[in-house]
Amino acid sequence: MPKKVKTTVEFEGRVSEILVDIPDIETPLWGNDAELDIVGHPIPRVDGDKRVTGAAKYTSDILLPHMLYGRILRSAHPHAVVKSVNSSEAEKLPGVKAVISAFNTDPIRWHGSSSLFDKTARLVGDEVAAVAAVDEETAADALELIKVDYETLPFVTDMEEAMKDTAPKLWPNGNVVGGKPSIYERGSVSKGFAEADLVIEETFRTQTELHTCLETHGSVAFWEGDKLTVWDSTQAVFNVRDALAAALNIPSNHVRVIKQYMGGGFGSKLELGKYTVIAALLARRTNRPVRLMLTREEDQMNTGNRPATLQHVKVGVKKDGTLTAIELKSVNANGAYLGGAGCGAPYREMYLCANVRTEEYAVYVNTGRSRPARAPGHVQGTFGLESMMDVVSRKIGMDPLEFRKKNYATVNQAQTNPKPYSAKLLDQLYEAGAKKIDWWNRDKSRNSGDFHSRKRGVGMASQIWGGGGGPPAYALVKINRDGSVNVLSGTQDLGTGTKTIISQIAAEELGIALADVAVDLGDTETCPFSGSSGGSTTAASVGPAVRTAAADARLQLFEYAALELKVKPEELSSRRGKIFVKSDPQKSLPFKEAARKAGNNMIIGKGFRGPNPDGYSLNTFGAHFAEVEVDMETGRVTVLRHVAAHHSGRPFNPLTMTSQIEGGVIQSMGYALSEQRVIDPASGIPLNMNMENYKPMTALDVPTIEPILLTQVDEHCNTLGGKGIGEPPRIPAAAAIANAVADAIGIRIRELPITPDKVLAALKSSVPSHKV
Amino acid sequence: MRNFQHFNPASLAQATTTLSSKPDAWVIAGGIDLLGEMKNGIIQPGTLVNLKTLPNLDYIKFSESDGLRIGAMATLAKIEAHPDIRKHFTVLSQAAHSVATPQIRNVGTLGGNLCQRPRCWYYRNPAFHCLKKGGKECFSVSGENKYNAILGGGPVFIVHPSDCAPALISLGAEVTVAGPRGKRSMPLEKFFILPTENPLRENRLQAGEVVTEVHVPPFHDAGSSSSAHRSVYLKVKERGAWDFALASAAVSMETNAGMCRSVRVVLGGVAPIPWRCPQAEKTCMGKQIDEALAAEAGKASLAQAVPLGKNDYKVEMAANLIKRALLMCSASSASPR
Repeated sequence: MPKKVKTTVEFEGRVSEILVDIPDIETPLWGNDAELDIVGHPIPRVDGDKRVTGAAKYTSDILLPHMLYGRILRSAHPHAVVKSVNSSEAEKLPGVKAVISAFNTDPIRWHGSSSLFDKTARLVGDEVAAVAAVDEETAADALELIKVDYETLPFVTDMEEAMKDTAPKLWPNGNVVGGKPSIYERGSVSKGFAEADLVIEETFRTQTELHTCLETHGSVAFWEGDKLTVWDSTQAVFNVRDALAAALNIPSNHVRVIKQYMGGGFGSKLELGKYTVIAALLARRTNRPVRLMLTREEDQMNTGNRPATLQHVKVGVKKDGTLTAIELKSVNANGAYLGGAGCGAPYREMYLCANVRTEEYAVYVNTGRSRPARAPGHVQGTFGLESMMDVVSRKIGMDPLEFRKKNYATVNQAQTNPKPYSAKLLDQLYEAGAKKIDWWNRDKSRNSGDFHSRKRGVGMASQIWGGGGGPPAYALVKINRDGSVNVLSGTQDLGTGTKTIISQIAAEELGIALADVAVDLGDTETCPFSGSSGGSTTAASVGPAVRTAAADARLQLFEYAALELKVKPEELSSRRGKIFVKSDPQKSLPFKEAARKAGNNMIIGKGFRGPNPDGYSLNTFGAHFAEVEVDMETGRVTVLRHVAAHHSGRPFNPLTMTSQIEGGVIQSMGYALSEQRVIDPASGIPLNMNMENYKPMTALDVPTIEPILLTQVDEHCNTLGGKGIGEPPRIPAAAAIANAVADAIGIRIRELPITPDKVLAALKSSVPSHKV
Repeated sequence: MRNFQHFNPASLAQATTTLSSKPDAWVIAGGIDLLGEMKNGIIQPGTLVNLKTLPNLDYIKFSESDGLRIGAMATLAKIEAHPDIRKHFTVLSQAAHSVATPQIRNVGTLGGNLCQRPRCWYYRNPAFHCLKKGGKECFSVSGENKYNAILGGGPVFIVHPSDCAPALISLGAEVTVAGPRGKRSMPLEKFFILPTENPLRENRLQAGEVVTEVHVPPFHDAGSSSSAHRSVYLKVKERGAWDFALASAAVSMETNAGMCRSVRVVLGGVAPIPWRCPQAEKTCMGKQIDEALAAEAGKASLAQAVPLGKNDYKVEMAANLIKRALLMCSASSASPR
């Protein structure tokens, strides 16, 4: 029996201690000198052909016999009591099969003290009723026939307004989440400010960003008797299964959740959605399958956001660049229901500083709820912190990069007993990135634009994130009698390449070709448990489990090969499709031949993720360098180059890693320059719930993105030597762009996104200075 | 979106008759703007009268004697790529190219581009019964008005979304419309109306009428060695593609021996109609255009601007665009990017 130990795991900045087994099959670290045939190589997506040809089945492609289409009626008011729902007209519409609301269903608890259909709506978009009909058009028509009697209540959508005593309250205990700020302090900031030669204060603001997944949220629900099958666009099939079973008060083994392909989640699909429960309720009521995909407008309105922030930052520094104190007071827009909001982590962790204090308010407002959004908190906080580091370095006349190197942290200071980082090569990333962007000659860039109307500048920013992953995560490896292999794990591929990386790891460990491995993910009935795909943890959590399962299966197969080769199983190894005697590699047997010998004696390798190492903090680091051009007459910012240097230990697949970096930079460009949710202040109605006026970047905006991957193995993190990369590239990009804009125009824009109106206003009202 | 009849008329006459006889009939060309309005519940047509199957409405003809004639059904993609338009009417080619995305330009037509409805997010949101839709209030006045009008506004503060209209007006184009009572033509500039004239409409199309052709007259003395005609369209967007103008400037200019002989300056994205700038034109006429003069022309054009609170930036932006476009059109300037 495996031995149980305690280990520390981190997910999206939350650290917890859990009980875990130590695998009894040892898989030694794939070190820097390991000879790997598949892992670490630029392998194209194993399912790329299916994705680009349309063969891949996304949730919205699931079409079942007699399937109905669900639609949700949403609150038209930001704050209102739903006094009654009259659906009689809607029910008379031919093709309408069911209408449900708070008035004809049992309450299902949601968001703590709220419910699935709450009789108080707290944002424009809250769920009020739902319809199942024979087609989407009929369902949409039915929504218009439902009469809702609202009693409107005073509302507040602005987080600073919401903090005032006079503001309308969303919840009885007031609008500040938990009634007080979340406070962290180490050392003493007042002492730190006293020691400083210079104390600088700045205020930064970030906007509400929407996840804008290309595939909207949605589910297909189908009952067979008392068993429910759900196809869901989710980052976490097991979270959805267990929460759905609890919501419907049925056992978990009566619920099967399937997610094969999905078009992006970015943190907004980490939990059970109301739409899933509504689809299940409608399906049960009508005894027919129900597909309920949210419209783009609904998706933008009420599936989460990266919360807006207000960051008051105060920094103490000595003339030689030593940081003496960092203080952050932040306000974060939580939305109408508890969602998680805060941006202080980078302030606490990024730079060496004995005196740090963060005081963070999360505030209820009558808008969509905040959800984790690709590096939650870190993206907002890093914009503030890294803008501030630029300001401070310029004020003391120090190069911004030198200033950052001066305050380099080698241990995780935010921990009670600070542990060293398992692998921090940020100094090398700084050097490599600076060289690539020609940092030391950037004055040349500044003067290379058409000097009258267009100015250029270069900026940089650093990044810290977790991404070490951890248990629990499980995998099965089955070897079929023809030597082909199935890998099963209850994780999910969000479009990030998980399936490809798992295939690589299994093929590498088994010593067979990638083409002989099929991977099945995202099915709670067939796959063993793995956790949510978030926090950049999937590869580092699931990968080692897959490797152990493959090692287990291989050992079992070796028993058959050993009989054939007349040696002991432990004398064998396998590579490139052959099982061979380690001491005499000529003595060998094709892997597939050994499988045939095993016949229908089922080979099932089991693997699970072991504990994380004691004594190290598992983190990932990066540094971005951007070059921009600012049109001084139109205010338009163009990113000309973006260098993104990252280290996450071994890159499992440089191709997927590069894709993650490119995607992260592109998404961040929108955050830096154009994306922003807009709410009409008078009515609380969001105005840009589309991709026309909520503006992600387009192909024409994307500059040359130049990734730099350091490939050194992290020898401490896990047996694969690699960590996650999903979120890191999102973290420093906007700050690097903002710093480049300040470098170009000599005026700092302290609020994202840096749109032409803000640049023109700044140019009009400020005097350029190199000390911004 | 509600169910509707889709009708393929046999002739233009049948199309206009149908449109005028059925109050809930709407014309569909490329459909890009129309479908958006239908999906957002802004309009609920009972019948769509399709112009795509009518012959001879998508031509682009150019001759030095007659100028340029474009059928209303010509796609924006065809217009931007047409060699004669690129050569002689750069401003139009650039304007067509600046619209939305290649996919939309492949479908969107010139007629549709000229007749598209405003993009104001209050207008497009069915939750707001705004003045433009027959309500009582223009919500942009005290609301989120970053994209709204700074010139010619009131009582409605939409901006006209067309890129081709300012370009064509700068070229002195006229438009032909066909209706149940036959065809009529007018300068394109006169086609558009201010909200003071009718807050519900942006143009003079009457019941049953559709745009059939745009004609750009030839230049007076094309080919004369000392004279040159240059035109340019500049558009500021918040991203590289799929965005309407924060502000745009169309300038078309004839110079003779470096002197401005005739010029038309038209702004887009700042007013409920394509906004002609006679002050800028007056400033430039008969003069050699240099940076100071171009800047003066830009400033003069925006002197009457009344920003709403969140769109002040458009004043400076539009003035700068006029300046830049004038400099690009005047032969004396080096070729700016």
